[in-house]
Amino acid sequence: MSLGSRGRTAFASGAVLSTSLALFFALAVGAIMFACLGADPLRAYAVMARGALCSGYALGELLVKAAPLILTGLAVALARTMLLWNIGCEGQFVMGATASAGFALYLAPDWPAAALLPATVLVGAAGGALWALIPAGLKNRFRVSEILSSLLLNYVAILYMEHLYYGPWRNPQGFGFPGTATLPQAAWLPTLPGSRAHLGLVLGLGLAAALFVALRRTRWGYEVRVMGLAPKAAAYAGMNLPRQTLTVMALSGALAGLAGMGEVCGVQHLLQDGLAQGYGYQGIIAAFLGRLNPLGVVLAALLLAAVMVGGQGLQVELGLPSSISVILTAALLFGFLAAEGLKGLGPALKTRAAQGGG
Amino acid sequence: MPRSRPPQAPDRTRPVLSCRGVSKAFGEVRANQDIDLDLYPGRVHALVGENGAGKSTLLSILSGRLRPDSGRIEIRGRAVRQLSPARAMAAGLGMVHQRFMLVDSLSVAENLALGAKGVRSPDIRRLAKRYGLDVDPDRMVLDLSMGERQRVEILKILCRDAETLFLDEPTSVLTEPEIRSLFRVLDRLRADGRAILFVTHKLAEISGLADEVSVLRRGRMAARNLPADRDPRDLARLMFGRDTAKAPERQPPSPGRVVIEVESLSGRDSHGREAFRDVSFDLRKGEILALLGVAGNGQAELVQCLTGLARPASGRIRFAGRAGDLAYVPEDRYLTGSVADMTLAENMLLTSGPGSGRLLDLGRARRMAQQAIDEYGISDAHPETRARELSGGNLQKLVLARELARETPLVVLEQPTQGLDLRSSLQVRSAIAGHREASAVLLVTGDTAEALGLADRVAVMFRGRISGTLEAVRGDPGQAETLGRLMAGLGPEAQA
Amino acid sequence: MPGDLAIVAQIAVKSSVAVLFAALGELVAEKSGVLNLGVEGMMLVGALAGFAVGAQTQDPVLAAGAGMAAGGAMAMIHAAFTVGLGADQVVSGLSLTILGAGLSGFLGRPLVNASGPVFETLALPGLKDLPFLGPALFSQNVLVYLAFLLTPLIWFALLRTRLGLMIRASGEDAISADASGVPVRAIRFGCTVFGGLLAGLGGSYLSLAYTPGWKEGMTAGQGWIAIAMVVFSTWNPLLALAGALMFGWLTALQFYFQATGSELIPPSVLRMLPYVLTIAVLVLANRTGMLKGRAKAPANLGLPFSREP
Repeated sequence: MSLGSRGRTAFASGAVLSTSLALFFALAVGAIMFACLGADPLRAYAVMARGALCSGYALGELLVKAAPLILTGLAVALARTMLLWNIGCEGQFVMGATASAGFALYLAPDWPAAALLPATVLVGAAGGALWALIPAGLKNRFRVSEILSSLLLNYVAILYMEHLYYGPWRNPQGFGFPGTATLPQAAWLPTLPGSRAHLGLVLGLGLAAALFVALRRTRWGYEVRVMGLAPKAAAYAGMNLPRQTLTVMALSGALAGLAGMGEVCGVQHLLQDGLAQGYGYQGIIAAFLGRLNPLGVVLAALLLAAVMVGGQGLQVELGLPSSISVILTAALLFGFLAAEGLKGLGPALKTRAAQGGG
Repeated sequence: MPRSRPPQAPDRTRPVLSCRGVSKAFGEVRANQDIDLDLYPGRVHALVGENGAGKSTLLSILSGRLRPDSGRIEIRGRAVRQLSPARAMAAGLGMVHQRFMLVDSLSVAENLALGAKGVRSPDIRRLAKRYGLDVDPDRMVLDLSMGERQRVEILKILCRDAETLFLDEPTSVLTEPEIRSLFRVLDRLRADGRAILFVTHKLAEISGLADEVSVLRRGRMAARNLPADRDPRDLARLMFGRDTAKAPERQPPSPGRVVIEVESLSGRDSHGREAFRDVSFDLRKGEILALLGVAGNGQAELVQCLTGLARPASGRIRFAGRAGDLAYVPEDRYLTGSVADMTLAENMLLTSGPGSGRLLDLGRARRMAQQAIDEYGISDAHPETRARELSGGNLQKLVLARELARETPLVVLEQPTQGLDLRSSLQVRSAIAGHREASAVLLVTGDTAEALGLADRVAVMFRGRISGTLEAVRGDPGQAETLGRLMAGLGPEAQA
Repeated sequence: MPGDLAIVAQIAVKSSVAVLFAALGELVAEKSGVLNLGVEGMMLVGALAGFAVGAQTQDPVLAAGAGMAAGGAMAMIHAAFTVGLGADQVVSGLSLTILGAGLSGFLGRPLVNASGPVFETLALPGLKDLPFLGPALFSQNVLVYLAFLLTPLIWFALLRTRLGLMIRASGEDAISADASGVPVRAIRFGCTVFGGLLAGLGGSYLSLAYTPGWKEGMTAGQGWIAIAMVVFSTWNPLLALAGALMFGWLTALQFYFQATGSELIPPSVLRMLPYVLTIAVLVLANRTGMLKGRAKAPANLGLPFSREP
């Protein structure tokens, strides 16, 4: 796809066009679905909008959901910028969460807050990065498609985390419920007063800005972009693809790991069922709706979070299952694809045409 | 079962195919304007024009791959609308593409069966025998030489009983003996009453072959249905709109130190087969060495080794400079030499290397891009333009400017004017000539005139070996012929 | 114990069928040049649709047909986007998986704990009494036989028929195939939908025969394992069968260890094994492929085709 960095104005107009087309498509799909369920589509959308935006609580919840989406969205977008598919964000998310929780509970429970919290954050990032290095290494060494390996590792990561909190890490005072003990308060991410929105959001926004600058202004970002836009030109220019594959996958995994750390240190405060609820997969949607641009990813993540929080409103007010929001987000992605396709951006097999001459 | 009979007593006075007023534009570029063309049974019609004159576009339209914006096409007097490849085939039109349209991983027989239902090996052998198109039906296309692949292409359209054949630059990848055998095949096809459109930019080819010739210039028909024995100089004037170009003036060489010395180098292609062997040469500062040859004779793989992108199988390269301190203009300027979706300024940074610091110097990049734009007169471009918006010629000038600006001891240029229009070619050549004093230049080309016009020495590559080397002497018409013989593998009659 | 071994073999064959159906379908789609990463989503929707129709009609054949149709309909979305609009095949396939997971979770909620029809074992007279092979291969339900018959049929169709030739050409070199008059788009569309039909059938095998009933996310990654098996098979249907059987065998071992209460391997490790070993198999496929130089994907896999430059 000819995604990736375009000129700023082209980006803005293209993004507005394809995002609004995607929105329109998703709204249409949703309307048909609501109608099939016997609900008035307009009323359902009104409920969603109110549920997502019209109270302090709703906005807070929106930010709670947006924080991990920004981070996993950035993770997918960064990898895809150099033509790597990291669809293992769910697993890296889980490994980040597991590493953070294990560190705070068992390795450094008595550290002072000033040291424990930053260390827990870093351990979360490291957990995700190490998990992402597996597909990167397999790709470099054995040419195994990172799509399949990173995805299959999602199942392994979730099973491993379950093994821990059903087994060795299970809270002895937990009345038999599966789950670890609560993390020491010193490892909790501070929250926005009056809401559950936590520091992970600030982390996501900061990293999005940093990534935006790094991709455009540094030699490293330039190499990543060249490798994504023209792999042959990257080889011609002598760039080291295997090394950059490791670096970028590790960074990507670290971003997803931070998302998992945020969920466990900012929201749940322990490992338990329901921690892995698809933020890794939704990150794919955020990355593409944001057209792989870090700042676009932030906006897309906010939009997706609004759809999710709005979906919860549907359940409360209309008795519709909230999982309808997952369908709406998938429809958003298809809408985006349709918009890209209709704009004729889908690349043809241009090589031959280009070389065929006049 | 192919009805592989010759067309029954064709009426040779009526055209099998004619176009009137065919036009096609790509955005601003008018690739074809008001094209009229008639093809008759039993005749070979040559269509000449330089690169970019619109020949490929016209062929794509005639074979149904492109839809014209306006104009009409008649087959045997009947107008056809919405020509598609399938319809063109059904109507008896067959195209031999310049880039062969064969599926490499299938066998010859499978490729033939793909185009025509129920073709079997005996049929293929019979057709092959009749027209002198020998090829083994059971071999994979991957393993065939270019000449053999072309025979498969021709067989493919004969299996479909095509009465009209289009050949797009059919000699460009062939050796001299292969060209002669192709012409014999075409003679037999003509004798059978088939119509042939022979598209080329090589004027020398047409006199012995064609019945008539038309000239395409900048998308328009500059002349139609001239006799094929017309003076080639007249045709050249019609093609280029002026006398044939002169090569840039050349100073006598003043060679300096040896920059690169290659000793018995051998190497493989990406399939692991031997691509070149036992290649030796040296090159001094202030000298241009041309490596001349038909594409596919090992030059590409040799360049990969010289530029450090591949490892040689054996032999030695001694380079008087830091590793990688060479400028390289690759053959594929669209996907390798540039990044289509980056700005011109960003493209100027492509080969500046990791040693240039952690932050990008976009200011310098913009100045470099602006300088290249001004120096080469690249119109409608500024440093923030995306590379994909440039024409092939302008893109090549940009890549050349970037590489020459690196001031390296060695410059390697691979097919630097392939596919460029005349003006751009001249600009590129004069830039190369102007750079000679600054470094050693290795020019890899398939164009004899370019090699003789620019280089001090010309080494010819044939089947992976250097088949001969000669000092370029200006104004010696015999040299071109000697080089032609060497390129065709006709033995070392060359004298130094 | 030989008796145990026969039981394990029987379960292994049973456990391989969903992956086999899905892998065969994906293999055909990939041969034509279309990568469909939506297999998991198509299987889920197929499983749900099959089960829902089964619960209504109590007719397993009709139910399996509905599962196929649902998978085919999902694949049609992918075909419309990738073949029709030239959209990125990876993004479209991932969207399809997310959509299938969401859609089946959402529509299937009322059906959790419902009961539906089951494909009963149909032991083949005579053959079922063969030692070892009898229980493993000839005391199964009809879908198992169908899957095993389909494998050589698809192999034959791909390698020995004109349709198969056109499919291979579309996936290897779409432009040349088009120039030869092959209707590349139609072939790719058809193969993608065929892949969806088989993925849907694989899904309904799960909900109508293997673990009767509906559970959210019941495919548990089998769609992805199927895609991996296509890579492992080097695009050869007969090797895809081998890959599927290997997966089935692992699953059967898991049951066996659980049933015998063996502490030899902890259960959580056993549950991870299919995924880890699938990755190992991918490594193996690439290593042996490099040695033999033939583990090559269709050259145009994943590339959209369009005629205009």
